[in-house]
Amino acid sequence: MPQLTSMMDMFTILLVFLLKNFSTEGQLINPSRDITLPVSAVQQAPETGLDVVVSRDWILVNGKPVARTPDADRLEGFIIPSLQRELQKYADEGRNLEEKYGRRFSGKVTIQGDKRLAYRALIKVMATCGQAHFPNMRLVVYQKEG
Amino acid sequence: MRTSRKHRYVFDLDPINMTPMMNLMVVLIPLLLTSAEFVRLGIIELNLPPAVSGAGAAAAEEAGMKAGKLDLAVTITDRGFFISSAMAVLANEGEPTLPVLNGMHDFSGLSMKLLEIKRQAKDLYPDLEQIIILAEPEIDYQTVVSTMDAARSIEVEGNTEILFPEVFLSATVR
Repeated sequence: MPQLTSMMDMFTILLVFLLKNFSTEGQLINPSRDITLPVSAVQQAPETGLDVVVSRDWILVNGKPVARTPDADRLEGFIIPSLQRELQKYADEGRNLEEKYGRRFSGKVTIQGDKRLAYRALIKVMATCGQAHFPNMRLVVYQKEG
Repeated sequence: MRTSRKHRYVFDLDPINMTPMMNLMVVLIPLLLTSAEFVRLGIIELNLPPAVSGAGAAAAEEAGMKAGKLDLAVTITDRGFFISSAMAVLANEGEPTLPVLNGMHDFSGLSMKLLEIKRQAKDLYPDLEQIIILAEPEIDYQTVVSTMDAARSIEVEGNTEILFPEVFLSATVR
């Protein structure tokens, strides 16, 4: 019989630590790997919504790339056509569900943006979301420690 | 001898069977490890910039005119913050209200200034929660988020005072 006491000690401590920061909700938003979210002091917990990611290279809707960020950056006006088309599809789908099954279409969208992103790119994405019937925007941020 | 036999009887117990406990640990620890959140995420709720909503915004603006709104706005530029409201435009001849200090935007200065405005505007205006944040196209996202933080609340002598948590974002006119 090997000596298991020290291993049990370790496991017990680990178990207590993990149980302590266990959340029943799980992770509602998975942050993308290639972006660094900005840090903020907000206390509000994340909620689900249509996932729009704005990295330094691509704009993605639910993981599907729809436009290149530099192209969107150079665009005249505030509406990004390809992004609007994609969002419109989701909005139509949501409306359809609302009509047929009575599941309310909330128009919620969570925007994950890289912290080094210029404001002009961000405001275009947000204006497009607003135009494509997703007026409830949430910016995803890292919560400041403490 | 009888006493020594008794002695051996006490100490020759089999060791406790650890196997079920180990099974439990081996299952529970990976489970909790995979569901653990190591970075805490948060969200900032945004209100649409009034300009985007078209006809509704025009009506809202009209109603606002009648009620006499504060219309507080902070403009972020690479030279600093410009603050304007119905009470006064706090800029002096094209210079920012709060200039950039050592290459950093003066977020704590902004909070202090907004607290001052909030105290002055108390009981005078209905929109004491709202602020419009404008930024130059080149300003980065982190700066905008930090500005929202500075505009949301301030710590004064240990207690938190709410400033202007309802943020409207708007683009600057070039």
